[in-house]
Amino acid sequence: MNATLGYLSVLVALVGALGITVRGFIAMRSPDRATASYLGLPVMALFGGAIAAMFFLELGLLTDDFSIKYIANNSSSTTPTLFKFASGWASLEGSIVLWGLVLASFTYAVYFRFFRSKDGDRLSAGALAIMGLVSLYFFGLMASISNPFAVCLQAWAGGVGCAEGAWGPIGDVISAPIDGVGANALLQNHWLMALHPPTLYVGYVGLTVPFAFAISALMVKATGVEWLARTRSWTLFAWMFLTGGIVLGGLWSYEVLGWGGYWAWDPVENASFMPWLVATAFLHSAVVQARRGMLQSWNFVLVITAFALTILGTFLTRSGVIVSVHSFSQSAIGPALLGFLLVVLLGSLGLFAARAQTIASSPRLDALNSREGVFLLNNLLLTVFAFMVLTGTLYPLFVEAFSDSTVGVGRPFFDRMAIPLSFLLLLAMGIGPIAPYRVASAAVVWERIRWPVRIALGATALAVLLGYRNPFLLLGVLTAVFVIGVISWNLYVTARTRSQKLGIGAGSATSRLMRGDPHYWGGQISHLGIAILALGIVFSSNLSETATISIDKGDTVNFAGFEVTYEQEFSRQEPGRFVTGADITVTKDGSIVGAYQPRLNQYSNNTSSIATPSVDTRFSGDLYLSLRSIDPATVVLEIFWFPFIWLIWVGGFLAAAAGVWAYTAKKPERSTTREPADV
Amino acid sequence: MSESVRKIIAAVVTIALAAIVVVGLVQGDKSDEDRARAIGSRVKCPVCQGVAIADSPSETARAMMDVVEERIADGWSDNQIIDYFSERYTDSIVIDPPFSGNTLMVWLLPILAVVAGVFMIFTRRKAPATKTSEVQQ
Repeated sequence: MNATLGYLSVLVALVGALGITVRGFIAMRSPDRATASYLGLPVMALFGGAIAAMFFLELGLLTDDFSIKYIANNSSSTTPTLFKFASGWASLEGSIVLWGLVLASFTYAVYFRFFRSKDGDRLSAGALAIMGLVSLYFFGLMASISNPFAVCLQAWAGGVGCAEGAWGPIGDVISAPIDGVGANALLQNHWLMALHPPTLYVGYVGLTVPFAFAISALMVKATGVEWLARTRSWTLFAWMFLTGGIVLGGLWSYEVLGWGGYWAWDPVENASFMPWLVATAFLHSAVVQARRGMLQSWNFVLVITAFALTILGTFLTRSGVIVSVHSFSQSAIGPALLGFLLVVLLGSLGLFAARAQTIASSPRLDALNSREGVFLLNNLLLTVFAFMVLTGTLYPLFVEAFSDSTVGVGRPFFDRMAIPLSFLLLLAMGIGPIAPYRVASAAVVWERIRWPVRIALGATALAVLLGYRNPFLLLGVLTAVFVIGVISWNLYVTARTRSQKLGIGAGSATSRLMRGDPHYWGGQISHLGIAILALGIVFSSNLSETATISIDKGDTVNFAGFEVTYEQEFSRQEPGRFVTGADITVTKDGSIVGAYQPRLNQYSNNTSSIATPSVDTRFSGDLYLSLRSIDPATVVLEIFWFPFIWLIWVGGFLAAAAGVWAYTAKKPERSTTREPADV
Repeated sequence: MSESVRKIIAAVVTIALAAIVVVGLVQGDKSDEDRARAIGSRVKCPVCQGVAIADSPSETARAMMDVVEERIADGWSDNQIIDYFSERYTDSIVIDPPFSGNTLMVWLLPILAVVAGVFMIFTRRKAPATKTSEVQQ
C-alpha cells in the first residue's frame, strides 16, 4: 500500500515537474502569460507529490513495512525510532527522495515569491522552468532506476532483508521479508546523523536557485545585476546550511569514528567542500558586481560551477566510482548522474558562450590595491582551492582509468596545498573588509590595521616566549588573531566615531552601526567565526596529546597530567546492538575530573564493532577516550587531549549562523550614510 | 611625550614583537610524536577506505603506526620508513603523491591554476575595455 501510494506520489511530482518546465518556458517566452497563477497547478503537484513521497517512505519505515525493498534493507523492527526516521535518507534511493523534497520546497518558495510579486516576470518564469527541469531529472530517477518504492520479490534466506526487488511498486512476491537488516551501523550510532544530511542537502540543493536564475537571466538576456539581486538571499540561505552541514559532519565524525579526527579529506567530505568553496567565492564576487558592476561574466561561471559541483559530488559519492573506477558501472545511477552532469555543463556553458556578447563588459579595475583587488584575490584563492580539491579527488580515478597503475592522493597532498591557501585567505579576510574601494593607499590601510597587527604580533610573541615553536601554531595564531583584531578594532573605532558624532551611547552606536549595514556586518561576524574555527584547528591539531594505554583492572595510568583508572567492565543488550564498555575514572591531582564509559557497539548487521568514544568537553579542551579492546582484566584505551577543540564547532556554527544577521537585522529608522562600514 | 617619540616607541615595539615571532618560526622543531603522525598520515590504511593509518582506529592501522614509531626510535629517516611500506605493500599505499612521474601533474595543475588566475587578473585589467554591447536592463 505504501509502495503504491508512494510511487503514485512520485508520478504526480514528475508530472508537476514536467508541467513547470513546459509552462515555465512558455511563460518566459510570452511575457503576457508570465503570471504566477499559470504555474500554480504544476508547482502544487510537484510540491505535494514530493511531500507525499517522503511521507509514504517514512510511514513505511515507521510501521516496519518490509514489503518495500528499501525498507527491508535499511531498517528493521528493532531499529530505534529516530534511526528508522533517519533511514529515510540514509541510503541512495531515500536520499534522492529527500533531495527531491528539498528541491520541490525551494521551487515552491521561488514560486511563492513570484506569486506575491504579481507582475509578469520573465526572469522568475525562466528560473522556475529550469528548476522544473532539474526536478524532472530527479523525480525521473525515482520513477525509474532509483525507485525507493520497489517492492521486495524475494527475501534473503532466513527472511531478513531483501535479495531481489521488483522494478516498480507491484510484482509477484515469492517470499516477503519478515524483518529488515537494520540501519547502517555507523549511521545509527549517533543522533547527529539525523541532522547532518538534511542540513547539508538544504545547502546543496539550495544552490539550484541561483543557478536557475542565472540560466534564466542568460536565456532572457537579462544579464545585468537583476538576477544577482534576486538570488542574493537564496544563495546566502543555501550557504548557511551548507556551512552548518559541513560542520555537523565534522562533529559527527569526531563524536562517532573514534579516532579523534573531524576531517580526513575523504572524497565524500571533498564533495561537500568544493561547492562550499565556490559558493563562498560567489557570495563575495556578487558583492563586487552589486557595488562596482564588475565580474559579471565571472559570476555566471561561479554559479554554474557551484551547481555542477553539487551534481559531481553526488556522482562521486553515490556511483561507487571512488572505491574503484571499475565499480562505476555496477549501478545505473552512476552513468545517469554523469550524463546529467554533462548535460548541465554543456548546456549552461554553451548558453553562456552564446550569450557572452550580451553580458556588459565590466568597468575596469582602478587599482589592484583596493577592496575590489582583495575581492579578486579572495576569488582567486577560493577557486584555486576548489580546483586543488577537485584535482586531488579525481586524479587517482584518471590514473586508474587511463593506465594500469594506481596512485594515492590523500591527506598530505591536501594539507600541504590547503595550509598556505588558508593562511593567505585569512590574511585577505583581515585586510579586505577595511580596504577602501577603488584605491586603498598603504597609509590608510596601515592606519586601520596597525593595532590589530601589534596585537597579533604580541599574541604570537607571547606563544614563542612560552616555548612554543611549532610554525603552524605560530602562523595560525598570528593570522587568526589578526583577523579577530581587525574586525573588533574596526567595529570599536567606527562605533566610537559614530557615538561621538551623534552624541549617543557606545552600545546604541554599535547597534545602529551593525544594523545599518547588515550584510557587511553579517559578513564580519561570519569572518570572526572562521577565524575562531582556524584557532580551534591550529590548537587542537598542533597541541594535542595522544597515547594508547593498557590498564589492568583497578590500576591507574598517567596521561597528560591526568590519572586514568580502569574500574570495571560492563555489557548490556540494547535494541539492535550489544554494548560492551569500561567504567573509567579520571582524576587530576587527586580530585575527580569525571567518570567515563567509552563503549564498543556490536550491531547484528555489521561484523566489526563500532566505538562510542567518551568525550568530555571543558573550557581548556576535550578529554577523548576511545575503547580499543577490552577483556575483564585489561582495557586498551586510545586517549586524546585536544586543547580548545570546541572553538572549531563554535566558530563554524557562528560562521554559518552569522547569515541570520543579514536577514533579520532591522535597519535603524533614520537613514544613515553608508560611510563607516564601507570606507 | 611628543608625537615623534611615541611613534618611534610604537615602531620599536612592533619590530621587537615581529623579531620574536620570526625567531620562533625559524626555530620550529618537530618531536618524534609529530614525526610519527606526519609519516602515518602519508601511508594509507590497507583495510580502510582511503584513510591514513594515522587517522584510522582499525587494528591494522594501529599495528602499522606501532611499526612507524619503532622505526623512528631505531633512527630511520622518514623516507626510509615510507619506502619500507611501499615495498611491503604497493606504491599506491603511499597517499602522499611524489613530485615526479605520474603524480607530477596533481601538484602542477593547481600551481598552473594560480599562474593562470594571476595572469588573467593582470591582463584583463590592462586590456582596453572591449566594445561595450548594450547593457541589458
